[in-house]
Amino acid sequence: MFSLIAGLIRYLFSKTEINVLILGLDYAGKTTLLEQMKGIFKKVQGIPPSKIPPTVGLNVGKMDVGGCKLTFWDLGGQVRVRSLWEKYYADAHGLIFVMDSADVGRFEEARMAFDTVKEQGELHGVPLMMLANKQDLPEAISTADISVQFDMHKITKVAFRLQPCSGLTCDGVAEGIHWIVDEAKKRARPRVDA
Amino acid sequence: MGIVLSRVFQALFGSKEVRILILGLDNAGKTTILYRLQNEADDNIQTIPTIGFNVETLQYKNIKFQVWDLGGQTSIRPYWRCYYPNTDAIVFVVDSSDRERMAIAKQELMAMLEEEELKDAILLVFANKQDQPGSLTSTEVSEALGLPDIRNRQWSIQEASALKGKGLFEGFDWLVTCIKGGEA
Repeated sequence: MFSLIAGLIRYLFSKTEINVLILGLDYAGKTTLLEQMKGIFKKVQGIPPSKIPPTVGLNVGKMDVGGCKLTFWDLGGQVRVRSLWEKYYADAHGLIFVMDSADVGRFEEARMAFDTVKEQGELHGVPLMMLANKQDLPEAISTADISVQFDMHKITKVAFRLQPCSGLTCDGVAEGIHWIVDEAKKRARPRVDA
Repeated sequence: MGIVLSRVFQALFGSKEVRILILGLDNAGKTTILYRLQNEADDNIQTIPTIGFNVETLQYKNIKFQVWDLGGQTSIRPYWRCYYPNTDAIVFVVDSSDRERMAIAKQELMAMLEEEELKDAILLVFANKQDQPGSLTSTEVSEALGLPDIRNRQWSIQEASALKGKGLFEGFDWLVTCIKGGEA
């Protein structure tokens, strides 16, 4: 009984909590983006991009955006740690896939990783955003070309967005985050019956 | 003004002291790690099972670390909690070749992470004894310890061999970056 009331109080006075998973190949810039978001939304300075080590494990970022309590889970992208990704699917309300738009040599690998993620049953109904990162680099491929190379016309997800951005200059980051928060808020996660 | 000055002073001379606990089952290699960190060149570290604790102050990358290495035997694990307050980071050491006791390590780790006093501490796991045949990889160790179930804490795992001095500083670099954060 008490827990019922406590639950009700929590329901009435709490902000919506949204968990957003950040995935992508290693060296795509996931942690840099997360650190920059801390600067944009929390006004605290994150770790400078040049000092960020490769993630082997989990980085957590918590911030309030658009009246929601956001928790970002930034997971390592190296091949040997990608098996950890799936453990987080069930609890995610939003998914960000980061790619290095300038690393054409790894597009195929990125596409395969992206395909696996986007076809996950557990992530059905979860808004998905691809961040085409490193747009500040001169050799970066435009989102129009990326869209073709990644067969994005085949994506059947209701909420999908391809967002160009740069983790260095912060262009496009805030825009993308606002989008995913709005989408995650709109969509109550469909219940998965055990 | 005084605060600003002392902040600047701190940033310049790195007087920030960070409190770290090294924990893990007995015979995981905690004490060897502690003394390896203190003296990188020493190949011949002889340790005996720790009953009680070892504490050392290390200076690394302008940060002063106060490192507590607590004994890991079953009988003394209940005393770990006396050391929890004000901890910035937990270094959890596992013997990657000790498959039988992985479940116990997991149990101890998970119980510890539920402690209120440790809720803000970041976690570094050393998958130690990588020099031993048949040792589990860092991915296997993370699964065995249930690290992917952690949702609210920054964690990292590092393959290491305290005996050979491998991986320790890589792990500590991660700790330093996370602790220093934007001040770096």
